[in-house]
Amino acid sequence: MPRAYITGLGFITSIGNDSRAVEQSLRDLKHGFELYPHFDKPDIPCKVVGTVKGFNTESTDQEDWTYPEVYSFKRELLRTMAPHGLYAHCALIQAIKDAQLTDADVSNESTGLYTASGGSPFLTHHFHSRLQAVGVMRCSPFGIVSSIVGTLNFNLVAAFKIKGASCGFSSACASSAHAIGFAYDEITLGRQKRMFVVGAEDGNKDAILPFAGMRTLSLQTDPSLASRPFDAARDGFVGTGGSTVLVIESEDEVMRRGVTPYCEVLGWGQASDGYNVAISHPEGAGLEKAMRNALQATQLSSDAVDYINAHATSTLIGDVSEVKAIKAVFNQPNIKPLVSSTKALTGHGLSLAGAMESAFSALAIQKGFTPGSAHISKVDPACEGIALLKKTENTAPTIVMKNASGFGGANVSLLFKKV
Amino acid sequence: MSDLAQTSQATKAPFISLAKPFSPEDEVALREALKRCSPSTFEAAVQFRKTGNPEHLPAVVIGVVERYVEPELRIKLKDAADDLRMIEDLGIDSLTMMEIVILVEDVLHMTINNEELRNLRTVGDVKAFIDCKVRGLPLPKPTKFLPIEHIATVMPIQPPFLFINEASVSSLGASGKYKISGQEFFLQGHFKDNPVMPASIMLEALGQLAVLYLLEGLVPEPGKQVSSSMIYFTGCEGVRAHRICKPGDILSLSIKPKRMKMPLATFEGTIRVGQEKAVIAEEITLTFGFIDAVVPPVEAAPVEVVSNTSTPVASAPKAS
Repeated sequence: MPRAYITGLGFITSIGNDSRAVEQSLRDLKHGFELYPHFDKPDIPCKVVGTVKGFNTESTDQEDWTYPEVYSFKRELLRTMAPHGLYAHCALIQAIKDAQLTDADVSNESTGLYTASGGSPFLTHHFHSRLQAVGVMRCSPFGIVSSIVGTLNFNLVAAFKIKGASCGFSSACASSAHAIGFAYDEITLGRQKRMFVVGAEDGNKDAILPFAGMRTLSLQTDPSLASRPFDAARDGFVGTGGSTVLVIESEDEVMRRGVTPYCEVLGWGQASDGYNVAISHPEGAGLEKAMRNALQATQLSSDAVDYINAHATSTLIGDVSEVKAIKAVFNQPNIKPLVSSTKALTGHGLSLAGAMESAFSALAIQKGFTPGSAHISKVDPACEGIALLKKTENTAPTIVMKNASGFGGANVSLLFKKV
Repeated sequence: MSDLAQTSQATKAPFISLAKPFSPEDEVALREALKRCSPSTFEAAVQFRKTGNPEHLPAVVIGVVERYVEPELRIKLKDAADDLRMIEDLGIDSLTMMEIVILVEDVLHMTINNEELRNLRTVGDVKAFIDCKVRGLPLPKPTKFLPIEHIATVMPIQPPFLFINEASVSSLGASGKYKISGQEFFLQGHFKDNPVMPASIMLEALGQLAVLYLLEGLVPEPGKQVSSSMIYFTGCEGVRAHRICKPGDILSLSIKPKRMKMPLATFEGTIRVGQEKAVIAEEITLTFGFIDAVVPPVEAAPVEVVSNTSTPVASAPKAS
């Protein structure tokens, strides 16, 4: 069976805009939350967001945007971007550099790009308001390509001259985990030699606030208490945006280029709850099956896994159903794998989450640490019985499982292995 | 945005409406719309909106085009030569062209449809088009690019006495290029051991371009066409040669009609080599005449026209 490896990473996240900063935040359990000015209104009950620093994408006019000086953009590129397109472009530049890819390595028929984002409600809203106000013929010709759910792949495929497979994944918070799974398939089926997987979200008011209507956002006003998966006092998730890019390559390409990968992508599994449009299965049935499918696909026994980067978003129901699913799969006298949720530091990246946290896992494997689950002062009794890791450990896990669950009960479980 | 909405609603129908005075709110909206354009563009737009005087249009149009051209190419617009091509010279793609149009529509309160857009290929086309729209004049013929094969087919003048290699022609004028190859027969004697393009031949080249304009650019009377065998030179005035032109030089020729009064057509003409002026003719006058147009055989309507709708051509109902 052909094998696939992660050879490059790029980050624009609430906890850092490059892998060094991200690693430091994960080691020090330093969160990326701030009181968000747009939420500072009496009628908005939630206050905290995992903000992307160093960028300003507040304007609907891309030419007003600011970004770190190391990046430069022509108007021609910017004009079709959503905020998360800008973040993703920067993260992709990092990942290409990190993987030491040449222009020819990036643009050829054997290199593809999969993306995941929820689109840009921010720009969609802007364009539709303008359409109503001034009529459709005075609307930007880029209204669609800069805002609809495919905007990420439209922009990146064109900007980086991608010639291989490309498409976007839309399974809500499981999206970019799905993208990694199918990218792995592209490579191991021999269809592509290299895949970029891009997760990104605007993470602004329009992207996050609607979740308050579902009563799923934390109402905490203290940034250091708002996101605390598995804690008894958790009260919902904290939204975040940004982007993460992973470069996944075939074994042949890794050998040919002589690069050292972060880790191997061992395989993956998925399964659906078939239960509720928005609520996770109370026993975590779909996620349990996804984890079992991943283990079966990789022919690993459950005791081989030594760290689980949980999906746990800090919601009341979701965290408990994931713990139940983990208990069901790792049904030993002492459940071995350490479990943590890095969303305690970043917030919930929605479509970005799976890619971001897989990249954290790859970083942890290569840099030799296991990230802890921050902000737990009292474990929720319903979340007991698993090996919750509260502080970051300075040892690398050998086998990491990364879970992701999305609306409609979509569940993905990915497995990564130290090389 | 709501201000913008109201003003555009109010002046929807005519191209320019001075029915409503230019309000401070209009000025704020205009400033916002033109915030990335030069101050002179904004000033010209204000003047146009206040007075409706089309004199201000070129500055507005050039200013809007400039705003969408990559900074390193903007220098080309300084001369504002009308034959600058939007795509080839200024790097403006069809999407950017749309951005330009939307901003122009917004600023000048006019409506431009897609069909009209397709024909705007040069800066001159854009300026002329907007000028005609604002004045309510019939729209100019789009610029046609003519390769040498086409030129040789239509022209009464033939090699070795044809001094146009390529040309573009619209109803507003014509421009063309001629490269002095050094093989021209008369250069052997003009001058001895010193080949210099004769000024009389350069004037001839401008005259030839004017002939091409009459044949390809002039909008004739209905049912008529210009006869290629009835065009002759009658006179010229104010001719000055500024630069010695030699083999290897590429002559950029341009002519513009000044007066058309059957049977006389008077043009002004210039020749440049790069940015340098070579020859100027204040007036070149030709005589010309119409003959009855050859009516092309009636053909079935082109398929594309019909298939613009989603109904397949074959099943398009005729009787029902």
